[in-house]
Amino acid sequence: MTMALEGACRPMARCVQRPGLKRINLQIRTFTTSNASRQEVTDITSTSSPPLPANPFRSPESSAAVVHKPQSERRLIAQHGIYPIGSRRRRAAIASTPSIPFHQLPYQCFQEARKVLQQDRVEKVAEIAEQRRRMEKVQTSLAQSQSTGDEPSVKQLERRLRDMRQHLEELKILADINDPLVRKKFEDGLGDMNKPIYRHLADKKWRSYKRKVLVQRITQMNVVPDILPHIDPTIAVSLSFGRKDIPHGGLVLSTLSEDAPSLNIQPFDRGERLVTIAVINPDVPNVAKDGFGYRCHFLASNISISPTQTRVDLASLDPESQVILPWLPAFAQKGLDYQRMGVFVLQQGSISEEETSTSTTEEQSSPANLPVQEILSAARYSKRENFVLRSFVDKYSLHPVGVDLFRTQWDEGTAGVMRRAGIPGWDVEFKRKRIYPLPYRRLKEERYR
Amino acid sequence: MAHQLAHRAGRTIRAPSTATLVALQSAISSLTISSPNPATLQRRNASHQAQGRANGPKDRAGKRLGAKKTGGEYVIPGNILYRQRGTLWFPGDGCFMGRDHTIHAKVPGYVKFYRDPSFPTRKYIGVVFERNNVLPQPPNAVRKRLLGMLAYRMPESSNSSNTSEPSALPSPPTEAPSKAVEVSTQPPTYPQTATVKNTRENGEVITSQLQLRSGSYQWRQANYDIGRTALQSERALKVKPYDPNDRFLAWRKRNARRARAAQKRALGRGGKGAAKGKAKGRGKKR
Repeated sequence: MTMALEGACRPMARCVQRPGLKRINLQIRTFTTSNASRQEVTDITSTSSPPLPANPFRSPESSAAVVHKPQSERRLIAQHGIYPIGSRRRRAAIASTPSIPFHQLPYQCFQEARKVLQQDRVEKVAEIAEQRRRMEKVQTSLAQSQSTGDEPSVKQLERRLRDMRQHLEELKILADINDPLVRKKFEDGLGDMNKPIYRHLADKKWRSYKRKVLVQRITQMNVVPDILPHIDPTIAVSLSFGRKDIPHGGLVLSTLSEDAPSLNIQPFDRGERLVTIAVINPDVPNVAKDGFGYRCHFLASNISISPTQTRVDLASLDPESQVILPWLPAFAQKGLDYQRMGVFVLQQGSISEEETSTSTTEEQSSPANLPVQEILSAARYSKRENFVLRSFVDKYSLHPVGVDLFRTQWDEGTAGVMRRAGIPGWDVEFKRKRIYPLPYRRLKEERYR
Repeated sequence: MAHQLAHRAGRTIRAPSTATLVALQSAISSLTISSPNPATLQRRNASHQAQGRANGPKDRAGKRLGAKKTGGEYVIPGNILYRQRGTLWFPGDGCFMGRDHTIHAKVPGYVKFYRDPSFPTRKYIGVVFERNNVLPQPPNAVRKRLLGMLAYRMPESSNSSNTSEPSALPSPPTEAPSKAVEVSTQPPTYPQTATVKNTRENGEVITSQLQLRSGSYQWRQANYDIGRTALQSERALKVKPYDPNDRFLAWRKRNARRARAAQKRALGRGGKGAAKGKAKGRGKKR
């Protein structure tokens, strides 16, 4: 159904522009704004109000939906700090089309298709209600068998409840997936990440490209066998130093990475969770061993994140209860190759595949806090050098859920960065060790014939 | 029409039998005057050249392909392990493939010929650091890597940016590092500029600021410094500015330039030809 609707979405998208456009003054559009979702119901009704006349002298707020020339886009961003909404093609379509509400569009086939969609949604909503009622029944029988202590039936019922919950989540997504208004909101970056449909769409979008790039970078640059044995990223992590966003695996100037970065950690499943963030360098030269060691550049625990609470500034975490090892600037000494800096997001406590029920929300409301002071007092994980993330993850039963990577290299600013941070070795240069050729052996005489 | 008529008459017209046709054809051919067409004669010729260089000489020299090192042999980076046409063998850990698919060693160690279960159709050549190591490594294990480098202290440089007495230049980069040094904890001061005073024959003292520019390894004066010194020198101050209205000066300059050009011409052309001419002339004189 979704596929068949792709074509129908375009005329819909054209006409769903809101007259008057009481837009929220958002500087940078993210997935999450909760107040836009509250307007969702009013949006549909408000489309019936008189359409917006094509006014060439519109306000900058309203022109964000219709600018479609690069020059005017740039002017809007530079002069008003407002970013254009959606794709350029879409904005051009909106600008050239009068806004007529859905139910007044003069296309018969389109109106018939709308009816089908509305009917489908009504069915799905009814199914959701039915599923909820069934789950309540199962829950009451589960409580009964728990009180009687019937172990096999408790297990069976719990499994059944889990499957039902999964189906309920699927239904919730199916109810909204064909809604053109939902699609528009998501494309505008106004989707509310508290709702399953927007989380689903965001996850799909992330997996379609960005996650593939990330997985390629961490496998090609061997982050995965070198720091951790395996990782299956389920949370989108992006890194920025100040205002500069760093692509996965990008080379960062040493002066830029002198101050702690901020992370955007975007989970796609419901609920709050506590995570540990570790930044590990696996390319620390060890001349005595003639090999490489690890160094922990940052370690902090008990950081709460949720689908709507994604920003983590590594510099502004609580030093008492969260930070174990504060930020150490990334550096690579002269003569060495670039050094990888793996950023890991490790979920604390148990990971539940399915969505939360009453019982699991209780578990999640008290996730496993890491004893920061205890770790600090013990010598093992409070030292930066030779910090083995594998053993740390095993000891505190953490689950790697997100990963990012950047690289650092010796550059003009590295010596200064190291001196300011009080790191010894800024005046040390690495040079290749000479490997002596094998002694020449004269071949036996018969070989020369 | 004829068929319809025949049908109506109740008779059927049959096609003549093959025997009849062959007899008819032979009768016609015996009647023809001209000789049979050679194209229709169906002679079969040899389709494959049997003599000369047609099949290619197969006795050319061997290309000396194959394994150059055996399993377990010690190799150093760059050593050729296998010469091949195409990829019979693939480069594994510690190896790389050259332009003509030759497998080279990338690290010092011992040669291993092995198969990798993750790519079962390929055969690999690898190099391990320890003789008893096994390839392939487990897929989730930390890679074994060699640093292959030594740490040296960078050339020490003294800071003399605002000292009045002439200071010695920082020591130039050492040509060969003697031995690895351990890392110090006290960061020494970083040099920016050095002042150098030179005394001329006439007793004039020239002070110049030398700088170690980023991206450069040598101490040198800045270009603007050189230019400023030249403009402020005694000789530069003595030069009278050129007055275009002083036609006598212009005439003198022009004549001097012409004289210089004539003198140059008399010395001969520059380049290869000039050198030859000179040699000839000299020979004649002798």
